[in-house]
Amino acid sequence: MPISLNYIIRRIVLSFLVVIGVIVFSYLLLMLTPGDPAVKWAGNPRGPGAAKAVELARRELGLNQPLYVQVAGFIYNVLTGNLGMSIAYKIPVNQVILSGFTSTLELLVFAYLLAVPVGVWLGVCSALRRGGRLDAFTQSFSIVLTSTPTFWLGAIILLILYSAFGLIPYGRVSSKLVLESGFEPVTGLYLLDSLITGNFQVFIDVLKRMIPPALAISIYPIGALARVTRTLVAEALLEDYIRAVVAWGVRRQTIIRQFVLRSAIPPLIQVSGLAFVYSLVDAMVVETLIYGREGLGSILLDALHKSDFRVAIALVVYLTIFYIAINTLVDILQATIDPRVRL
Amino acid sequence: MIRRPLLGIVSRSLGKARFKIGLFISITVIILAVISPFIVPYPREGYGYVPPESSGRRLLPPSLQFLFGTDALGRDLFSRVIIGTRTAIIQVLTVISMSMLIGVIMGTCSAYFKGVTEAVLNYLTELFMSIPSILIALFLRLTMDQGIHVVIASLTVTWWSWYARISYVYAKSVVELDYVVLAKLSGLSPLKIIMRHVVRNLIQPMIVQAISDMGSVLLEASAINFMGLGLPPGSPEWGVILYEGITGLSIEVFTKAPWLIIIPGLFILVTTLGFSLVADPLREDLDPRLRRRWRLWF
Repeated sequence: MPISLNYIIRRIVLSFLVVIGVIVFSYLLLMLTPGDPAVKWAGNPRGPGAAKAVELARRELGLNQPLYVQVAGFIYNVLTGNLGMSIAYKIPVNQVILSGFTSTLELLVFAYLLAVPVGVWLGVCSALRRGGRLDAFTQSFSIVLTSTPTFWLGAIILLILYSAFGLIPYGRVSSKLVLESGFEPVTGLYLLDSLITGNFQVFIDVLKRMIPPALAISIYPIGALARVTRTLVAEALLEDYIRAVVAWGVRRQTIIRQFVLRSAIPPLIQVSGLAFVYSLVDAMVVETLIYGREGLGSILLDALHKSDFRVAIALVVYLTIFYIAINTLVDILQATIDPRVRL
Repeated sequence: MIRRPLLGIVSRSLGKARFKIGLFISITVIILAVISPFIVPYPREGYGYVPPESSGRRLLPPSLQFLFGTDALGRDLFSRVIIGTRTAIIQVLTVISMSMLIGVIMGTCSAYFKGVTEAVLNYLTELFMSIPSILIALFLRLTMDQGIHVVIASLTVTWWSWYARISYVYAKSVVELDYVVLAKLSGLSPLKIIMRHVVRNLIQPMIVQAISDMGSVLLEASAINFMGLGLPPGSPEWGVILYEGITGLSIEVFTKAPWLIIIPGLFILVTTLGFSLVADPLREDLDPRLRRRWRLWF
């Protein structure tokens, strides 16, 4: 156990250092990209109040101080969760990011709950019939899945739903239904909220609007997991200990579940974790432009159109922290399950 | 380290049907990228020019005159999409070659010089690996005009780190080999050792990695363009064409003109698929040590 604890601490310290690096990097982006940083921080203001706003931004950033003091101050501000007010929304940046994050995260988790079992199942089936026709089909199919642009598939699904059934699953929830039923979000995760408050009408509506984008997002992990699972299971099937349990006469089902899949779980966790953070960008693209959902994607576009640098910086910092956190978590989880990594 | 000749891998892979299909697609796309402006019927419209007579032919379905139909401004979609192959190839090749150059320098230096250099360079690699490139694109767009440089810069800023990691892993195993140590002892300059012994061992895994990255770069580039962060509207780029096909129109229109969405997306899909099919057998044949930590968007 002490080895494992040591590893975990080392991993967390390293991740923390990377987080600091990202904060410094995003500050340097603000400083080094063309244009006056104070003007950018104030959101390119125009009109009579502009000079005052820029002056305020200059003081807020501490631009008259040496660079290392500025950077240190900025790190302190980010770590204490103080990134100022958003230019576009006029509310604290943290609140903006949090509201979008819950929406996108809900979609993403939902998509992965669909994708992971399907992908693993496909991979296992494929590996058990290695060299067969099903295997060839699954392998080709999974390459096609990982090559499909998610946003395009989202549009195609929308196209089919509309032209075949006349459905337009825009947004997260019907606003009319929300008004009628008096639904009020608690956590920002609408599926959870409607269940807690026992509002099943809203639950069904939210679910209906979540399935099409989730389907589009889930194709990448399905393809990736199917391929990785196939390789892992095929490798495990060749191991001597599998031959031994087969010789003992253990049931096929039990062998697959108890021995083959168990050895595949740690790498699968890692693959799912990496794919999960990668899909975050997919989700941002699909939810906004195609399904009109509010989320990190719409925040990104608003930041672009209103040149809201504070939100842009917050997006870089928080999403990277999310990425690092997931990766660290995956590594730690893997180390606790798989003794081989603990070295 | 066992060196397997690349040509041997290619000839062995040629026996697989999937590899042949992939090679066929990739070569077609590359040829199209070179000759597209000369073979399309309306090259100026392909680059975004809206001719005065176009107002009468908006959203026409595919026909013999307009093979893929026309877009919302009356431009010939066929010309735009086919010229799009050129944009796609330019983006992909620039991003990959620049990332590879930076990555190999960083990775080999980190493996060769050890100590503080190693720690710092590996830290930087870890750092840039965790920043989503779409956010770099957002940042660049806030300070610069639209254009291909935004796409290329934002992807390269993050992508080099993968090459750095892979070349680090390979170089690490090479620098401990006897002949490299002997070269060091005999007083050869580090630059020469790196060029002559270390980089030469990296060429093959780097080429395979570059081929298998082409598809993912294309997907990410088109996603950035689709978000409106990259090339300006009217550019012959598949993501931009899709963006125009979806955002400018209401759902009633775009179900009536589905070619605007289906066709550019199919081109992205098929091109990515072609690259992946080529890369797949090559990668399987290469040293399996990296398979665990391999770049995961295959």
